[in-house]
Amino acid sequence: MADSKSTGSLNTADQLAREKYFTATQSQLIWARFKANRGAMIAGCVLIFLMLLGLFAPFLSPYDPTVKGRDKDYQNGPPQIPKFCDHNGCSARPFLYTLERTRSIKTNFRWVTEVNTEKRRYIELFVDGWEYRYFNYRINLPGKNFDFTIPGFSFTTHLFGAADGNIHIFGTDSVGKDIFSRTLHAIYTSLAVGTLGVFISFVLALVIGGVSGYFGGLLDGVIQMFTDAVRTVPAIPLFMALAAFVPDTWSAEMRFFFISIILGLIGWPTLARRVRTHLLVERNQDYVLAAKLSGAGAGHVIRKHLLPSFTSYIIVDLVISFPYMVLSETALSFIGLGLKDPVNSLGVLLQNVTKADVLLNYQWYFIPVVFFIALVLAFVFVGDGLRDAADPYSDKH
Amino acid sequence: MLQFIQFAITRAFMALVTLLLVSLIVFSLMEMVPGTCAERYLAFKNTQGQQITIDDIEAEKVRLGLDKPFLQRWTGWVGRVFFKGEFGDSCILRLNINQLLGDKFLISLGICLTSLVLAYLIAIPVGIISSASKSKWLNGSLRFVSYFGLAMPNFLLALMIMLFSTVYFGETLTGLFSKEYRDAEWSVARVLDFLSHAWLPIFILGWSATAFALQTVRALMLDESGKLYVTAAKARGLSGGKLLWRYPARHALGPIVNSLGFDLNRVFNELPIVATILTLTEAGSLLLESLARSNDQQLAGAIIFLLTASIVALNFVTDIALAVIDPRVRRSVMGQG
Repeated sequence: MADSKSTGSLNTADQLAREKYFTATQSQLIWARFKANRGAMIAGCVLIFLMLLGLFAPFLSPYDPTVKGRDKDYQNGPPQIPKFCDHNGCSARPFLYTLERTRSIKTNFRWVTEVNTEKRRYIELFVDGWEYRYFNYRINLPGKNFDFTIPGFSFTTHLFGAADGNIHIFGTDSVGKDIFSRTLHAIYTSLAVGTLGVFISFVLALVIGGVSGYFGGLLDGVIQMFTDAVRTVPAIPLFMALAAFVPDTWSAEMRFFFISIILGLIGWPTLARRVRTHLLVERNQDYVLAAKLSGAGAGHVIRKHLLPSFTSYIIVDLVISFPYMVLSETALSFIGLGLKDPVNSLGVLLQNVTKADVLLNYQWYFIPVVFFIALVLAFVFVGDGLRDAADPYSDKH
Repeated sequence: MLQFIQFAITRAFMALVTLLLVSLIVFSLMEMVPGTCAERYLAFKNTQGQQITIDDIEAEKVRLGLDKPFLQRWTGWVGRVFFKGEFGDSCILRLNINQLLGDKFLISLGICLTSLVLAYLIAIPVGIISSASKSKWLNGSLRFVSYFGLAMPNFLLALMIMLFSTVYFGETLTGLFSKEYRDAEWSVARVLDFLSHAWLPIFILGWSATAFALQTVRALMLDESGKLYVTAAKARGLSGGKLLWRYPARHALGPIVNSLGFDLNRVFNELPIVATILTLTEAGSLLLESLARSNDQQLAGAIIFLLTASIVALNFVTDIALAVIDPRVRRSVMGQG
């Protein structure tokens, strides 16, 4: 404090700001730098929005995304966009027109859906609909006694719905499943697969990279050789080889976990290498020597002293590797080796757009593609922003 | 010179060890697929109306050498691959894998390498220009384009181009050869026909490779142009293209050459997916077919091994090339002795 008086030319606010800068923790510094990056901030907001969409998918989607929730009177139906105004005047409440199924001599006695623009159906909020559960787990271990179910909480309220009849704001697919509901659930699934995959590869990378970097020497040489060999094998063909193990009889959940594990098993080498390089530098620092002299074991030194020294870099690396996980999942599901139809993942939805028919007649199938691109772009931008923010030399202070 | 040869030999040896490791991984994967070759053969015979007993399966196992321990079988496989270039037979299709692959693998490799070259032909000049330019608009849009190249997966791009051409031009753009050339011998006409089809996969594979390369080149150039030797060159009165080309660009070249192997890896990743959409009949889709439809571990193993081998070979070549073109690397090689 005595020091601050001697430099009287600076005003107090400036002084405080400087002091804050010098005493800030690493995470505060990263946050400050990240905030200054406008592109990354926008991407961050988009990302959070998409994550919330995924997390609250059952609440936000008016229909069950599986065949159970299909609308059999509205197959391949175009999006129904709520209106505020029409030829009958305006209303503060958005509305849809009523669809009527008619059959007459005019339609050759086939059932035809017609839009009745005179009958309005208003959008309602917080309607009752299909039942969904949060925190509901069914664990199926070998042996009858080990199967247990956690019921969780069940809800039936949904954000919106339409009075008498259905609302499909993104349209429906060929069996009448609501594309809006499917998209939201797909975001959730893809994020969950990615998270699980990133987590597995993260643990593997920490263990392998940690051992290799901390002990060095011959062990390091052997591990590095192995890591390099894994890195040279092209990942997607290897994914495909692994995914081919999945028998067709497996349930959707089993498939889901298996795919995540594969993603994790293949994603670790890059991160492991970075962990190793960092440890190789840090293990010769004085504070590590001090800890060792005090009698700390290898595990303790790695966990308590070395890992915290680069947590922020690890987090950044995780965010950066996330879009690749999502992309790989999509690619696998797309070629039919990953997740399959009853599960809604972005890859499964993208698979639906592969027909010329879709481009010509059912363009609304492409809506999930937009979400997919937005998700990957948002992750890439946030990852890039975080990397710049975590690099102390990117600062021009 | 002697030291250089020594360096080359060490590198070749390391490449060989990597290949051996990869072959071990691939071979173990092939082993892990449920069901052995003997069972598959006999299952096939069973469909032909023959009665199969357990003894038959055992006899078949002995005939195929499946009763031997894992390591022995692996060395046998590796030995045949390395010394004879033979991958054995595919149990599902009951055909020789070398015959099955034919020139398909070389065609795929050619397509991938061409798209890689194309990517760098675009990325190097554009990356250098964008790193030197102060224009926010140019840099922002380049950044967006390269991110977009990443977020828009190749298969989507392939799909879009194909669908649009089908719908608006009535041309399907699929396959690698026209009907009359598909099984013909190689000739000038066949090559021309091939080229008229191959541009689309090359373009699509090059698309995201370009996006990646662009980012790498730009980041490296930005790193280098802040360094003192560039300032010194500026002080001597150099400017513009001459400055960029003679100083930071040459330094940035090293890491780019070094990463070529991994770029090829990335292109291979996209290959099977693009191949499925464009219905190309080359190694990528053969791999997909062998995995997805028939679970053919021998064929899949052979293809993965070949893909990896070409990456390892490229890594070896770039290592040597780097020692030739970069005096810093050369000196460290020579210095080591």
